[in-house]
Amino acid sequence: MNHRPFEDWLLEDQALTGEQERELQAHLRVCTACAAIAESNLALHSTRMVSPAKGFVSRFETRLLEHRKAARVREIIGTVIFVLAGLALLSWLASPFIQEIMRSPADWITNVVGALLFILTSIRALNEVGRVFLRLLPDFISPLGWLVILFLLSGLGIVEVLSIWRFTRTPQGV
Amino acid sequence: MTWVVQAQHGSDEAFTKLVEAYQTHVYNLCYRMLGEAESAEDAAQETFLRAYQHLHRYDQKRPFATWILSIAAHYCIDRLRRRKFSMVSMDAEADENSLELPDADAPNPESEMIHSEQRERLQGLLKRLDGTDRAAMVMRYWHDCSEAEIAEALNLTVSAVKSRLHRARRELGGLWQADHPQPKPERRPHESPAF
Repeated sequence: MNHRPFEDWLLEDQALTGEQERELQAHLRVCTACAAIAESNLALHSTRMVSPAKGFVSRFETRLLEHRKAARVREIIGTVIFVLAGLALLSWLASPFIQEIMRSPADWITNVVGALLFILTSIRALNEVGRVFLRLLPDFISPLGWLVILFLLSGLGIVEVLSIWRFTRTPQGV
Repeated sequence: MTWVVQAQHGSDEAFTKLVEAYQTHVYNLCYRMLGEAESAEDAAQETFLRAYQHLHRYDQKRPFATWILSIAAHYCIDRLRRRKFSMVSMDAEADENSLELPDADAPNPESEMIHSEQRERLQGLLKRLDGTDRAAMVMRYWHDCSEAEIAEALNLTVSAVKSRLHRARRELGGLWQADHPQPKPERRPHESPAF
């Protein structure tokens, strides 16, 4: 037999039959390349685990504590930088308005008070309109009209319930 | 497995148990990959730290040993790559701690001495293999991982693992021969000229 199958057996590192083992041993006596592979395979099979020095776990716990401390410090520094950056950005964005306010505070106060008064008066007016509308509405719609409106609204409600029911019954994400 | 679940729920005590249980496996892989005790200790510690940080990503369907060895192997491969870039010779870094002493309690001290020498020699040659090939060899021979487990840990296909192991054995055999050349036997008349 030539060199190739023996080399393949060794490189595959597979289990051999008794006959194959004998043939291989005979080949190893004459082939240095295969003998080297066989020897290195043998060394690989006689390997041994190396353990860490004593106290590995306690050293890890110390390292974990240090890591946590460092992470906390990084978190604080990150938050401070974020807040400062936010404040700087806000100041930069608000600087034209601040300058305006500082230049004429009386005008600014008048504008703010005016705006507030406008909002308050608008709310009041809307409230008044709503009240009047609710007082006049029943006189415009007949009892039959009310029945039709109620019937339509309940129909819409049933349609919605049915569509939700159908949607939940259909399998999702397939 | 219960320790893993407890650790995933935030129990530091359970994680400590995991470190205790897997320290030798992880340290051995790092030591075989990096070749020196100090780096191996650092790499093993870093592996557990990374495992702690990413424990929520661990899939309980996978064996925990494969997962943690995968972290260790990837970390060591990265470290070897960085070492390669910084042009530091690993041979120059070998220290006295990397020597494996023969087991005095072994039944046959002489044979144990020979094995010890061979293991030491093997460790020296292992350093010359490519990082991923080395990781595959260490997982195969030191940790008895199957080819499928190695493939899962190193993000390779099973056929890629087989081919890497095949190549690594050939390379190791070549290095073994070059490291300790033997007189070449004469070719016998019936043998192929290719041999």
